[in-house]
Amino acid sequence: MANKNPKSKIPNLLLPWLDALAITSWGILMLRYWLTNKLNLLIHPNYIWFVVVTGISLIVIGFFKMQELWQRRRRDVTPNGQHISLFPPGWGSVLLLTTAILGFIITPQVFASDKALQRGVTTDLLGSTRVKPQAFRATVRPEERSLVDWVRTVNVYPEPDTYTGQKVKVQGFVIHPPDIGKEYLFLARFVLTCCAADAYPVGLPVKLPNNQEPYSPDTWLEVEGQMMTENLAGKRQLTIAATSLKKIPQPQNPYSY
Amino acid sequence: MNQLNNGFTIFLSLLVEAMPFLLLGVLFSSLLLFFVDERKLVEKMPKNPLLGALVGSLIGFLFPVCECGNVPVARRFLIQGVPTPVAIGFLLAAPTINPIVIWSTWTAFRDQPEIVVLRVVFSLAIATIIGFVFSFQKDLNPIIQPAIARYMKFNPPAQPETKRRGKRYQVEQQEAIPNILQSGTYILGGKAGVPLRIDANFVQPTAPISNTNKPLADKLRLVVDNSVQEFRELGGVMILGSAIAAAIQVLAPRELILSLGAGPISSIVVMLILAVVVSICSTVDSFFALSFASTFSSGSLLAFLVFGPMIDIKSVGLMLSIFKPKTVFYLFALAAQLTFVLTLFLNLHVF
Repeated sequence: MANKNPKSKIPNLLLPWLDALAITSWGILMLRYWLTNKLNLLIHPNYIWFVVVTGISLIVIGFFKMQELWQRRRRDVTPNGQHISLFPPGWGSVLLLTTAILGFIITPQVFASDKALQRGVTTDLLGSTRVKPQAFRATVRPEERSLVDWVRTVNVYPEPDTYTGQKVKVQGFVIHPPDIGKEYLFLARFVLTCCAADAYPVGLPVKLPNNQEPYSPDTWLEVEGQMMTENLAGKRQLTIAATSLKKIPQPQNPYSY
Repeated sequence: MNQLNNGFTIFLSLLVEAMPFLLLGVLFSSLLLFFVDERKLVEKMPKNPLLGALVGSLIGFLFPVCECGNVPVARRFLIQGVPTPVAIGFLLAAPTINPIVIWSTWTAFRDQPEIVVLRVVFSLAIATIIGFVFSFQKDLNPIIQPAIARYMKFNPPAQPETKRRGKRYQVEQQEAIPNILQSGTYILGGKAGVPLRIDANFVQPTAPISNTNKPLADKLRLVVDNSVQEFRELGGVMILGSAIAAAIQVLAPRELILSLGAGPISSIVVMLILAVVVSICSTVDSFFALSFASTFSSGSLLAFLVFGPMIDIKSVGLMLSIFKPKTVFYLFALAAQLTFVLTLFLNLHVF
């Protein structure tokens, strides 16, 4: 079997406990993210129940295993071989446990403007091909559209002049892209399809009454105004001509879906 | 510092999303390990090579195993006299053609349903074609490992079933070719990748038939034990894979990713290489691919999703327990070329 020399006896006794511990700790971590409302930052709301059920299952399996180990502790331990060849014994559990501990220590963060700038070149913000309309509602009033609704609408019918003069009221966070003038800012939101790994920013440029200085990056704003067409970075762009900009707190759930 | 935290958030989100699917896959495959009688299945396999390859590829639906589970099952199939195309079709398609993998792919690519459909279609096509190609090899001796060839020579599949169930016969057999007939998970323990049978002491009384009348509680304990082992190992691989994905997202220069990811050929080549290197389990690999969704071409994402489950570093060791190195190389080369051609067609809008 896997371990014959006496030296490896202790790890052999400890390894199954490490497995159980690693599995239980992941269960606890998942439930903790759920209870502290951090799951919103990591995954699409559709899968929250799935993560919760998994968390509970992992804890049950972990305890089941520990109970079994406790009952068997006096008897000979059946050596557990490795299932696949990639890791030496114990590595899988150590990796799982270490990551779970890191998860307890480090709080996941809401993506902000630096990530948006790194993710999408600013002119892509509007042209993102992944935003698809989910429903056509011709009757919806322009001022009721969210930022993402606007981007979706524009993707279906991209001619900016169509929208000139329509009223806008949207919320998002501020980005200062380097290639647009001081009197503009980008108002953006991250869209999530599945989990934070695929979060991508969408947004619209906003023309300010004065300059961008009062609105530092990552500030959440509610912008009201009218649509107009501007030439930005050599491209005709649908732009919000802001009449009012109100600072708002970051929403409970900062992502759109 | 912010970069680091962004990277960690991506890493965690991949893990939190993937963990449920991993657990489900592991539980499901462990359950079937103990409750499905594959021998009954074996008797019904078609003899026609093309049909056989297709049916073999589809059996994955009944055995929702991922990369490390399919190799032992394919080996048992071969030994029990299943035609080669069926076994090869199963070997290549099973990790993808199964309900949990399809569901997780759907979860990840809800807004690109074509990826989900094409993943299944391409995997089926490639597995069937390769299975069909191998049907022309009538004599198995040159392609499979001598131990298995020897076993098949002395125990042709036509032999009556009852003989295998004799206890003494079974013991003799274990000495000659260890563990070959038993159901359950094979493991590569200790030295030089010699396959060992997991928890031999546990299963011995019930071996070799998977669904004998062992009390349910005992079976459940075996299921849990097996799940814990698989979860720990695959979880480890998943963590490394997610870390690589997060690191690439945060660290790789955006211009490089965009230029590689947009090229119809370069994007496929990069993703094929990633598929082999990352070795991430098929139940969760779609989440890994997802993190490239906005920058890489659809064809290259598919290349990753189709080729990855067929071939990766960790399954090579297991495959070598069935086939000679030459055969494994052929399998890889064929699978890689077919994946490349199909996904290139997609990138170039040929269909």
